[in-house]
Amino acid sequence: MILSQTKAIFVDAYRELNAKKMFWITMALNVLAVVLFASLGINERGVSFLHWTIESPMNTARFSEELFYKVQFTTWGIPFWLSWITAILALISTASIVPDLVSSGIIEPVLSKPMGRIRLFLTKYLTGLLFVGFQVFVFSLGCVLVIGIRGGAWEPKLLLAVPIVLMFFSYLFAMCALFGLLTRSTIAALLLTLLFWFMVWIVNTGDSVILSQREGSIVQLEDRREDVEKQERFARARIEQLQEEGKPIPGDADRPLPEGIDDPLVVMNPALTASRNRLAEGEESVEMWEAWYGRVFALKTILPKTQETIGLTERWLITQEEITELLGFGNEMNEGRPQDEDAPAFADPRVSERVATIMRERSLLWILGTSFGYEFVILGLCCVVFVRRDF
Amino acid sequence: MSHAIDLAQVQKTYKGGLFGSRVHALRGVDLKVGEGEIFGLLGPNGAGKSTLVKIMMTVIRPSSCSGTVLGKKVGDKATLARIGYLPEHHRFPEYLTSRQMVEHFGALSGVSKKDRRRRSMELLETVGMKDWADAKIGSYSKGMRQRVGIAQALINDPKLVVLDEPTDGVDPTGRRDIREILTRLKDEGRTVFLNSHLLSELEMVCDRVAIMVKGLVRTHGTIDELTTDQRHYTITVSESDKDRALSGAKDVFGDAAELVPGRAGVVRIDTAQADRVQPVIDKLRGAGVVIHAVTPFRPSLEDLFMQVVQDGAGGETPGAAKGGRS
Repeated sequence: MILSQTKAIFVDAYRELNAKKMFWITMALNVLAVVLFASLGINERGVSFLHWTIESPMNTARFSEELFYKVQFTTWGIPFWLSWITAILALISTASIVPDLVSSGIIEPVLSKPMGRIRLFLTKYLTGLLFVGFQVFVFSLGCVLVIGIRGGAWEPKLLLAVPIVLMFFSYLFAMCALFGLLTRSTIAALLLTLLFWFMVWIVNTGDSVILSQREGSIVQLEDRREDVEKQERFARARIEQLQEEGKPIPGDADRPLPEGIDDPLVVMNPALTASRNRLAEGEESVEMWEAWYGRVFALKTILPKTQETIGLTERWLITQEEITELLGFGNEMNEGRPQDEDAPAFADPRVSERVATIMRERSLLWILGTSFGYEFVILGLCCVVFVRRDF
Repeated sequence: MSHAIDLAQVQKTYKGGLFGSRVHALRGVDLKVGEGEIFGLLGPNGAGKSTLVKIMMTVIRPSSCSGTVLGKKVGDKATLARIGYLPEHHRFPEYLTSRQMVEHFGALSGVSKKDRRRRSMELLETVGMKDWADAKIGSYSKGMRQRVGIAQALINDPKLVVLDEPTDGVDPTGRRDIREILTRLKDEGRTVFLNSHLLSELEMVCDRVAIMVKGLVRTHGTIDELTTDQRHYTITVSESDKDRALSGAKDVFGDAAELVPGRAGVVRIDTAQADRVQPVIDKLRGAGVVIHAVTPFRPSLEDLFMQVVQDGAGGETPGAAKGGRS
């Protein structure tokens, strides 16, 4: 009975989406995106689109076709197309699932069937995920074929994008289901979910910015510390030189320290005071950004990790060697560019490298574990509300 | 007689309002419905009829409830596989055809695919919707939706059928068809629980009825039992003979005979038994009174309903009496 009930709910969900045309519209858009992806190419002169070529340093002399397609897939295919366009279309398509389920006149005959409310709700929730899973599968499979046929590399592991994007969407859809259950309105559920998504995006952006600031201030502190040590070494060397020459050194009875100065090194190198002050400022700055980062990180730990979850595609689909190849290309592109001395600390390429490393080293348990924890709590809340509600 | 429905002290209180006020939708309903009978539940709007039905169908959780439906505790999910339900104001998915809709709810009830296919067409034929089986429900009139709703309620071959306002929006022909279906269900040994405002419809098909007012069952029993107190005979004579007719009737019935105010020459005798009227007729004929008509009067369900509702609007007596007003 459980199987036939579950199948009936899935078939009904398909019929509903089919009736709303959104299933096929989203599918058509996904196919169009694959066609556009296939239209892109790389040759010895640059990047090609259909029979046009845009001259670019990104050409077959520096890049393999395989890497070109994989980079396109992981830099715009997943983060842009699947994470934004498909996700928004999927939310629009599926936002009505729960409000429709609980609307008066529809819920009564369903609840009067021999099926527990929790199972009913979770099955309905899964129908939404299945819709997205199918769409992402079509897009990813299309991309695998494009990379295989045009790039000459068969990479079925690109299909890992399906579970990754599904996990990402499930965080949002859980919220959509909760809002739909509470408000019984599709529009309200959709808008509140988008608002939640925006809030998560703000936290993610805050995390990136504050992490960059922290790492920037750490790098700056290390530079300043090095600078102070260098200046101290210089001052000590001067003192040693004076001693060797038999001349009085600052602090001796013959040469007392000037008023307000208690360090002979400063007398030997007056610029040291300013450097030490900058070092102290740098330490304060690191302390401040550490504190802010701690707060944002704690907040982020509670919330679902949308950005990091999508980032797993890059982590899993592009190898370290390929990243090195890409970084090499990036450095080549930056070579010869004048360095901006007034650029903020986080603009330092060392900072971006440190941030990228930290982001990449964030554990799978933290990314998925806490996100699923959040989703579990939200779905639990949905079940409690759904089970206790009178219709 | 075993009972398909045996409810005791069903209560439902809603909390709400600005100051957390409580609304008592059901105040302790006791109700028994025998197996194989057609039972009608009546009551004015807000009496709690639909709330009671929804509690039986697990759509609403009772504040307190004891009792059984088909021998299992109220709320038992597995039992729902043996119950068919047509809710009031239903909105079946408009993107489905009636065949798809009936089969969908059959699957949710655990009916096998083979049986769903077979029964769905049989039932659609029964409710007169076979020709529309593959048309989308969105194109149906209200009456047609009601018909396919009934087919949906029967797809699982239920022992108990609960229909909430089944004739709502249905034309007279359709109502007759539904009455015939209900009678057939009864003949097949199923129990039918009807919730309706259409008293004349209930009167025609129900074996027993209950009337709810303000969350309580005020009275229940067969229509005969409920109307016995008000059944009487009237004897119509000429205006000039009315005093002789009243005198003759009082000789036999005493104070149970009286003139009907506002109706010239009509004497009322409070009895439901025809044989008890015969001596009065003999007496009047013997006295030379010309009798124009002897008419038995049985109040309609509507008369009974109005009286119970008016009585119930005043006081609130918990519980219900069997076979009479509480």
